[in-house]
Amino acid sequence: MSSSRRRIVADVALQGGAVSVAEEVDRAKVLDRLRLGDTTFRWLTRLAAIAVLIILGGIIVSLVHGSWPALRTFGFSFLVTETWNPVTEKFGAVAPIYGTLVTSAIAMLIAVPVGLFIAIFLTELCPMWLRRPIGIAIELLAGIPSIIYGIWGLFVFAPFLQQYVQPFLIDLFGPVPVLSPLFEGPPYGIGIFTAGLILAIMVLPFVTSISRDVFDAVPPVLKEAAYGLGCTTWEVARYVVLPYTRVGVIGGVMLGLGRALGETMAVTFVIGNAHRVSASLLAPGTTISATIANEFTEAVGDLYTSSLIALGLILFVITFIVLAAARLMLMRLNARIGS
Amino acid sequence: MSVTPIVTTPTVIHAVVDTEGLAEKISIRNLDFFYGDHRALKNINVPLYQGKVTAFIGPSGCGKSTLLRVLNRMYDLYPNQRASGHVTLDNQDILSPRQDLNLLRAKVGMVFQKPTPFPMTIYENIAFGIRLYEKLAQSELDDRVRHALDRAALWNEVKDKLGANGLSLSGGQQQRLCIARTVAVRPEVILFDEPCSALDPISTAKIEELIDELKDDYTIAIVTHNMQQAARVSDFTAFMYLGEMIEFGDTTRIFTNPNDRRTQDYITGRFG
Repeated sequence: MSSSRRRIVADVALQGGAVSVAEEVDRAKVLDRLRLGDTTFRWLTRLAAIAVLIILGGIIVSLVHGSWPALRTFGFSFLVTETWNPVTEKFGAVAPIYGTLVTSAIAMLIAVPVGLFIAIFLTELCPMWLRRPIGIAIELLAGIPSIIYGIWGLFVFAPFLQQYVQPFLIDLFGPVPVLSPLFEGPPYGIGIFTAGLILAIMVLPFVTSISRDVFDAVPPVLKEAAYGLGCTTWEVARYVVLPYTRVGVIGGVMLGLGRALGETMAVTFVIGNAHRVSASLLAPGTTISATIANEFTEAVGDLYTSSLIALGLILFVITFIVLAAARLMLMRLNARIGS
Repeated sequence: MSVTPIVTTPTVIHAVVDTEGLAEKISIRNLDFFYGDHRALKNINVPLYQGKVTAFIGPSGCGKSTLLRVLNRMYDLYPNQRASGHVTLDNQDILSPRQDLNLLRAKVGMVFQKPTPFPMTIYENIAFGIRLYEKLAQSELDDRVRHALDRAALWNEVKDKLGANGLSLSGGQQQRLCIARTVAVRPEVILFDEPCSALDPISTAKIEELIDELKDDYTIAIVTHNMQQAARVSDFTAFMYLGEMIEFGDTTRIFTNPNDRRTQDYITGRFG
């Protein structure tokens, strides 16, 4: 057995040697050409990756450079002053920062649970024939330009809220001790609350479609194993599907949050563009991006322009912090499930 | 649970089995199964005896796994799959629409081909199933988890890392974790769907040993492609071919003296 096998091996080696001797030169040429292509390819990919770093660095440098006059004039007080007065050239960023954070928080508070529920329904419970229509509707929702959300928000949604929803909220929370300041004042229709709701609708498709895709990717046998223990659909979704897909879901949520933080047009329409911080969610306010979009054309003084750029820098930093927070959250989740 | 009891004569089988002292834990009678229009199981009749291991063998696509998935109604998760006929567990018809699926699956546990640890710690993988059914004090829960891991011959290997993720274990350990998880909810029947096909020989040997130990307390059904495995672990063997139950009987007899030509061809490796 072993001797016959050795003979076969030897034969193959002999043949192989004969072939390579005859075509050695050609083979070397081909290899050389391939090596050149390989090197080019490697450098192309490296260049593309480095380009991202250069662009990002350029943006940071120009933001810092542009906002330098404002930062030098106001210093740290830029971050804690509410006044925004172009006439006296006194600028503070508190109101837009507050508006940005609160509208985004409202949006995520609504969009994340609703989006996850839709995704769970679509992947676990929905009858086949209903899956496509709902899926397509979600994708269409994502495709609507933000200007349309803005104009619809201003002319349809805000009056509706003003007439029906906000009076109800004011009545409902009026007697509740802690929550009553949040829903005080006249129902304007437009304001922080309305902007948050519009943002929730805009963010919903991101959360939903990404969660749906990652839920779909859960191995069926893992779900079967959970059902096989006697789990209900809720238990399977909560304890198996969600932990398994945590990275993807958090990615979807962060993508949505990114959009909520930076959304400009729709928010500008419905937020009221008032530079003040009110306890009430129903009061008008402003966000960073809305302020920049509204005031760029009229910013004549250097300090005014510089203050707007400083706002942009702050938004950039907020986004960065949010991303870092997401990483941190993911690490803590991983620690909890022991991986 | 108001499921009509069906008390009948012993299930019709294809060969004489000495049923003396054997109780039918599960009886399958006239079972048909459909994937859409495709009839995957044809008039299956077979008993699973209490405290015995029954192996299902046959070439790929013969319906072994399908049969197993009927026994815990796993097919219910998917539209277009349906079963007709009678399957009784302790004389209760489990195909009845009134059957509570969660309760059924608590009684009929399943171990899959690939290890499927949940995305949680090793401890939680076991405790999770227990908590679905019982509210236990922490110390009691700890005992149950330890006992389950003991039963699955895994305790000594994981006792120092109960907080690690289930996926950090080796394939064989993961499969034993899944067995421990199944045992922890105290089922009456355990279904093994090719439990060793993704495992190395040593892990396989461990799991076979485990099945042998478990049969004192549970009724076991195992689907396997490995004829030696069927011969080693089972008391009864059922040979299936193209959705039909060809032969059922004592494992020793099936492997030494089968009645049907096709059974003989399969176990001697002439097809499959």
